[in-house]
Amino acid sequence: MSTSTDKMTVRDILLSPDDIPVMPPRTILKSALEMMSAKRLGLACIVDDTGRLIGIFTDGDLRRMLLRTQKPLSAIFADDIITHARREFTTIAAETPIADALRLLEAREIFDLPVVDDQGKLQGLIHLHPALRALLNT
Amino acid sequence: MVPKIITVGGGPVREVRIGGTEPLAFLGGPCAIESRSHARQMAERIGEICDRLDIPWIYKSCYDKDCRSSAASFHGVGMDEGLGILGEIRSDYSLPVVCDFSDAAWAKPTGDVVDMIQVPAYLCRQTHVLKAAGKTGKPVHLKKGQFMSPWNMKNSVRKIEATGNHQILLTDRGTFFGYNMLINDYRNFPIMMENGYPVCFDATHSVQLPTSMGDVSGGQREFIPYLTRAAAGCGINALFMEVHDDPSAALSDANTVLDIKYLEVVLAQSKAMHMLRLELLEKWGEDRVHLDG
Repeated sequence: MSTSTDKMTVRDILLSPDDIPVMPPRTILKSALEMMSAKRLGLACIVDDTGRLIGIFTDGDLRRMLLRTQKPLSAIFADDIITHARREFTTIAAETPIADALRLLEAREIFDLPVVDDQGKLQGLIHLHPALRALLNT
Repeated sequence: MVPKIITVGGGPVREVRIGGTEPLAFLGGPCAIESRSHARQMAERIGEICDRLDIPWIYKSCYDKDCRSSAASFHGVGMDEGLGILGEIRSDYSLPVVCDFSDAAWAKPTGDVVDMIQVPAYLCRQTHVLKAAGKTGKPVHLKKGQFMSPWNMKNSVRKIEATGNHQILLTDRGTFFGYNMLINDYRNFPIMMENGYPVCFDATHSVQLPTSMGDVSGGQREFIPYLTRAAAGCGINALFMEVHDDPSAALSDANTVLDIKYLEVVLAQSKAMHMLRLELLEKWGEDRVHLDG
């Protein structure tokens, strides 16, 4: 691992897929929310059979959907996560310098960014707090 | 969403395709198999009407009626005799047949004979039953329980899908509205269509008043034409009705079965509404109104 932040890349701070909420598109919303809570993250990654990231769903998406929809909560819980997921989203490559990643988080005013390879397959997630910890520890 | 098409029958019996822009299919027959001669007579008489109207038809009748209100009620001719009769009807009239089962152990022998296997509404959550139905490899006619929300039928669908079976027909047969009363919520059709499978309306059970007469269910059959026309307008792919030549003497569901003398007029109107619905679909596209909330 690199020892200074100017040499560190996203790969040094990314949370692995095992540590983030990753799910197939036909996961019902109730299960998705449980996974997000269990992993203590406000972003869910929806992947296809090959591991390619096809959508994301965030706490903000949930808030906006609750204000918009008139469906009963029991029906929303039964919806597939993909029906509420965002299909267009920003990602970042693992080789990106950590400073560039932080600038992107700051510019977008977001806390998380999915990390994908050149095939679009999910590699993990960068989250603001591990990134800050890396900065503070160097 | 335009639902996928499922195929029932084929080979030695007529093939009935259900879903998409296929013609409205009819699932019908006497509620219970009462006798060999009655079952055959009903096959011939209903067949004449369906041929005249050019409506694809799947013969429905059951060998065991396990959800009767009273233990003293007619329970059925039993699996061996019943499946024998259904097998004869299937081969002698080249008709695809559908029959339900109430015990997971009955699924395989039933599936070995019928072209479509039916899960009773009361059992629509039962994992053993759903998996047994799926494992037959035959298209599954899955009725929404009167107590179930349409969106929770997804759980039942996925239990069947887990067996590798993706030939499912989802049916609304009414929803409990307090005690001894059912209503039809037509939102159920588009909601159940979201599962990607064709949907069906069970008209004769929808007018049932469950166990409203102490130890037997009542029914308001006079509403059948209204409900079927409305369901066809909602975009159903199939219509289910139990039919009898002498309802007062029917051994099962005597208060809800449709008298065969009304079958042609109900089917003809349902078909006309279904065709109009397809015309509207072609002209105006799918019903995508305020789907963003």
